[in-house]
Amino acid sequence: MNFDLDENQELFKAAVERFCQGQDVAARRAARALPGGIDRARWKELAELGLIGLAAGEADGGMDGSHGDLAVVAQALGHAQAVEPWLECGFLPARLLAGSAHLEGVISGDTIAAFAFAEPGRRFVLEASGVKAKAGKLSGTKQFVLGGGAADVFVVTAEEDGKTGLYVVDAKAAEVEVRPYPVADGGVAAIVTFHDAAAEGPLTADLAAVIDEARLMAAAEMTGIAQRLFADTLEYLKTREQFGQPLGRFQVLQHRMVDAYARVESIQSAILRALLQPAAPMAAIKAHVAENAIWVGHQAVQLHGGMGMSDELGIGHGLKRIVLLSKLFGDPASDILDYARAA
Amino acid sequence: MDMDFAPEDLAFQKEVRAFLDDKLDARLREGAASTPSVFTEPDITREWQAILAEKGWLATSWPVEDGGPGWTPTQKYIFEKECAIAGAPSLPILGLRLVGPVICHFGTPEQKARFLPRIISGEDYWCQGYSEPGAGSDLAAVKTRAERVGDKYVVNGSKIWTTHAHHANWIFALVRTDPSVQKQRGISFLLIPMEQPGVSVSPIITMANDHEVNATFFDNAETPADNLIGEEGQGWTIAKFLLENERGGSCAAPALLAKLDRIERWAREEASGTNGSMIHDPNISQRLARLRLEAQAFEVTELRILAELAKGRPAGPQTSLVKLTSSNLRQAIDELAVDLFGYDGLQLPVTRPLYGNEAPEYVGSRAAQLSMPAYLNGRAYTIFGGSDEVQKTIIAKQVLGL
Repeated sequence: MNFDLDENQELFKAAVERFCQGQDVAARRAARALPGGIDRARWKELAELGLIGLAAGEADGGMDGSHGDLAVVAQALGHAQAVEPWLECGFLPARLLAGSAHLEGVISGDTIAAFAFAEPGRRFVLEASGVKAKAGKLSGTKQFVLGGGAADVFVVTAEEDGKTGLYVVDAKAAEVEVRPYPVADGGVAAIVTFHDAAAEGPLTADLAAVIDEARLMAAAEMTGIAQRLFADTLEYLKTREQFGQPLGRFQVLQHRMVDAYARVESIQSAILRALLQPAAPMAAIKAHVAENAIWVGHQAVQLHGGMGMSDELGIGHGLKRIVLLSKLFGDPASDILDYARAA
Repeated sequence: MDMDFAPEDLAFQKEVRAFLDDKLDARLREGAASTPSVFTEPDITREWQAILAEKGWLATSWPVEDGGPGWTPTQKYIFEKECAIAGAPSLPILGLRLVGPVICHFGTPEQKARFLPRIISGEDYWCQGYSEPGAGSDLAAVKTRAERVGDKYVVNGSKIWTTHAHHANWIFALVRTDPSVQKQRGISFLLIPMEQPGVSVSPIITMANDHEVNATFFDNAETPADNLIGEEGQGWTIAKFLLENERGGSCAAPALLAKLDRIERWAREEASGTNGSMIHDPNISQRLARLRLEAQAFEVTELRILAELAKGRPAGPQTSLVKLTSSNLRQAIDELAVDLFGYDGLQLPVTRPLYGNEAPEYVGSRAAQLSMPAYLNGRAYTIFGGSDEVQKTIIAKQVLGL
């Protein structure tokens, strides 16, 4: 038994930490203010570190990283409060585009791809019905396309002959209408409507398996953020003085922080279980991580007082990213219900 | 024992309902419903304030001689309840509910004549200078210094979380007039004009993208000495009066119940994607039911407090629970709204306002668009006006005797 990171994983973690060094609130805000909400130069840099290729198979020019390698990257990005949507526009396209000619550009960082899966009025349902594929063309509307404002290509779930398949569409095509809108973590999502848009596909990736992997990555990122919020709050309680003593001297706050500590350790263990136990229930583990990470996020805001409410601190940024990830491919309530029913 | 209003109170209720039906137009209702921050913006509140002022129903917590309507505690409760149910905008409470009653109680006849009519007319818009960067929960640690120089005070220091300071022309502030005595005793309650070179305001944007609070800086700001309320050193007593005044009788539950009704309506319209509408979703429907039970019980707690006040007795110790209970209920309700809307609940508009022609396009519905900023801003309910932790310590000591 051994829970240490291996040598390569230590290197990936260090690469992420170097990449994110100095990325404070102001830098993150500047990136978010760019058209589409993504700084393409930084995105290219991220790709050149091999962090997108890590999620692609060797046959496609990737590094075929293990789930453990990828989770280390996701968690480190969360801990560093990275603004780059690695999970949405890096990991997911790298998996979904397996075997496609578009993958090369995604791995190099020259192509930004966004995954269009959600449909209006369909909540968390993953089977496509609002977008139909017929004779190589797509019609219909997707929403909550994360990174959709900056995307060069869309990877789209669509129904063809009663089955859900994956298709690739050029985002700049005249038959594709993109309406960007801001989302909780400061990123830009889009409503995307296809009007008989030319599409390649169906692709060969196993959609259900990739979604499960993405849930694991979301859980790992939330864990990294929660650990960061916990550490920042602990530091704050040791330094902020009220009533003539550090806040951390108040017993009620000590106990609150112990509860937070227990939750942070619990979700770290849950991630390790997901990585090391075959057939671990990913959606349910993500739900467990999400509920605890949100609790830690709420406490981080509360214990920072008014400062925690302001956009000037990373605390709120962390909470908002956790809330967004908590609902990606299902929210905790729906995932726990599914898990209970399956048991 | 009964929970009914007396016939004369029911007649008053009818009168209030008719008034609200008549005066609360679509623009005011939309402005009130589509404000995700804690306070409604002045463009909406000023209009509503003028309508209430004309009717004489504005300064409901002031004595009749100062411009109050002379209502009983029950009438005040009924008015607030009907306003909440009808979805009326909130009012600029910093003037009407906070500094107004202080001036009524502690002010000289000259101060009353100078300030009170201008609060009612809306000519003066007030903000509050209490917290400082080093004095949050520990309010008695305020450092902002006011020095008497001839017939005026010269003020230096800074205040934080000054709500609507960017709209205000006056600030009421806790300032230190005597640094040599024990910390509560050196504090005074001072009124300072905002429109002068020595006062500057810088915005603090919330994580929901709202500009509601500010940092306010005093650099040799001046105010005439007769803008001191009470005596020098009486500031802490006045600040406590203000808090108690805030807690004397409340009507928070009806607004919470009205919000739960709206969420239930939205849940009936929101598609689950699998099984008809979200009203059938076990998680949403159970949370809705639990919150409703809690809010209904809380409504009776507030009525128990009201019943005491109506008999002319002091409010009971349950009063101490009002802020704690309403803040936590509100946060749970706001969280439920976000969760109801699935991916649509994750949109977070950057620009304001979210009503009228300038409002950004929404995804799904306006209610969905409002849910995330309301939830994020609502995290402040358990922080401002005495954090939950401070409240619980006070209740443990003063009510439970621990």
